[in-house]
Amino acid sequence: MQYSQKVLDHFMHPHNVGKMENPDAVATEGSPACGDQVTVYLKVDDQTKTITDISFLSYGCASNIATASIITDMAKGKTLEEAKKITWRDAMDALDGLPPVKVHCSVLAADTLQSAISNYEIAHNLKEVPNFGKATIEEELKKIIYPQVGEDIISLKMVKYIGFQDGEVTIDMNIMKFDQWRENIAEEIREHLQKYPEVKKITINFP
Amino acid sequence: MQPGRIYLDNCVTTCCAPEVIKEMQPYLEEKFWFPGTFISTGENTNNLIIEAQKTIAETLGASPKEIHFTSGGTLANNIAIKGLANAYKQQGKHIIVSVVDYPDLLTNAAYLEKNGFEVTYLSSDSEGFISLKELKQAIRKDTILFMTTAVNHTVGTIQPLSDIKAVLDSADHKIYYHLDAGQGYGKIPLNVNELGIDTMSISAHKIHGPQGIGALYQRTGTKLAQLIHGIKRVDNLQTGGLSIALIAGFAKAVELAFSDFETNIAYLRELSNYLLERIEKEISDVELNGPRGEKRAPHNINVSIDFIEGEAITMMLDQKGITVATGSACASEGLKANYVLMAMGKTHIQSHGSMKFTVSRYTTKTELDETVQALAEITKELRNRSPLYLARTKEK
Repeated sequence: MQYSQKVLDHFMHPHNVGKMENPDAVATEGSPACGDQVTVYLKVDDQTKTITDISFLSYGCASNIATASIITDMAKGKTLEEAKKITWRDAMDALDGLPPVKVHCSVLAADTLQSAISNYEIAHNLKEVPNFGKATIEEELKKIIYPQVGEDIISLKMVKYIGFQDGEVTIDMNIMKFDQWRENIAEEIREHLQKYPEVKKITINFP
Repeated sequence: MQPGRIYLDNCVTTCCAPEVIKEMQPYLEEKFWFPGTFISTGENTNNLIIEAQKTIAETLGASPKEIHFTSGGTLANNIAIKGLANAYKQQGKHIIVSVVDYPDLLTNAAYLEKNGFEVTYLSSDSEGFISLKELKQAIRKDTILFMTTAVNHTVGTIQPLSDIKAVLDSADHKIYYHLDAGQGYGKIPLNVNELGIDTMSISAHKIHGPQGIGALYQRTGTKLAQLIHGIKRVDNLQTGGLSIALIAGFAKAVELAFSDFETNIAYLRELSNYLLERIEKEISDVELNGPRGEKRAPHNINVSIDFIEGEAITMMLDQKGITVATGSACASEGLKANYVLMAMGKTHIQSHGSMKFTVSRYTTKTELDETVQALAEITKELRNRSPLYLARTKEK
């Protein structure tokens, strides 16, 4: 399991690092307790809705820093609509791949870029704050990577059922009892959903 | 050793001493024979094994017959722990270990727990020591085994081995005492009689011997239920073949490590004190994990560097040709924070930012100077990228 040369280049000499003064939008995702936190700053041209400048800060591993570097490169000069289409998979491909166990570290950077764009749109009345519901939960679960293979748990059909009623999220998982990643996945699901004020209780069921 | 690389991960494995490699050569080329009787080839090997047992026994205050060769420390631990548990299960099925012990002990404890034994896991204090009071309270009528790690593999904490023995002896029945000395052997004095140890595991590759060979000390009279069944070639506890060359190399490594034990240890301690002093001087917001001074193994320095993540530090040092280890979840196979540091009450951030440097007798102060310089530059660079550090400086 090794990093590609491209990952090492972006990690050792990252692009677009640093705090931005007077950004038009900013977002922070992750938490130090989980081992990584990323902040993305945007400057957006009000007329053309183009990202004219972008920068990031990262408390994280090599994979996290390299993804933040390349994804900010990819977003720079793009319109918001174009940038919204950039996913962690695009970043990973641009980095010539990542070891499966490190994919989850790269999702955070992509996620933070999307949050920054969303914050800009909400602040500029380009969209409304989305209602929390099953769709939000599914979007969050798509950011959770099964470390063994480096794919998200929705694509891998590891989620059997998502329910949301009276503040309680219920998720039925399709991960066996003896699976070594079960605990990590459950912990990550909680981390992703706890940040929503609508979520009062999370129940995760395993077979 | 790879020329030009600075290797500071000597608690995981060490380079093989050139004298050891030389010692092994004839046993790979011509004297490869297994032990045997009457014929010269077999007798030659018998003598080698007896001499090797003697060399190791002398360093432990043991008798040569109490030394059994195994293919490594982990196998020695398995043979001893499962062997003791199964040999004495009629007397009781309760075992005591601690949450900061080496994985060999913890995985064996978990296995035994699944197979009808009860295990008490002692807690750790903030420096990685177990509590004697807690140990005393944990002892029950059916306690048959206490096992511990002489020197903690993460933070270098030396457990109070003699005091532990006194507590075990205060029970009104015999409690067997198994010691994992993978990190301790060659680093701290270990006299099995003074310490009252019943079984102990040691490993060659931690003391500049070859990988793939270790030994188990078994006190005379201590029973071990047979774990591995098969033909007896070299040893009756690990049946099957064992490399004769590796045994020869192991004995040579022991001879070298103990030829001037006190000077060796003083040098290791001088190096790690120097390293810690320089790190604390050059880098701000650094905290030592584990005890300071004589209660810490002489080769281990473990520090948490605030605001940055250990996998990134390790990768950058690696790019500069320096090998070290981290307790960061991101660098671990199971993506989990270091269990020893967490059990010591450290935070996730302290675990993610923890860096372990372990020196050897081949380490030089110049290498440590280079390491600290690189570490200071890397810390500065990564802190400039870190939202946590910038938030902190803003607060100030």
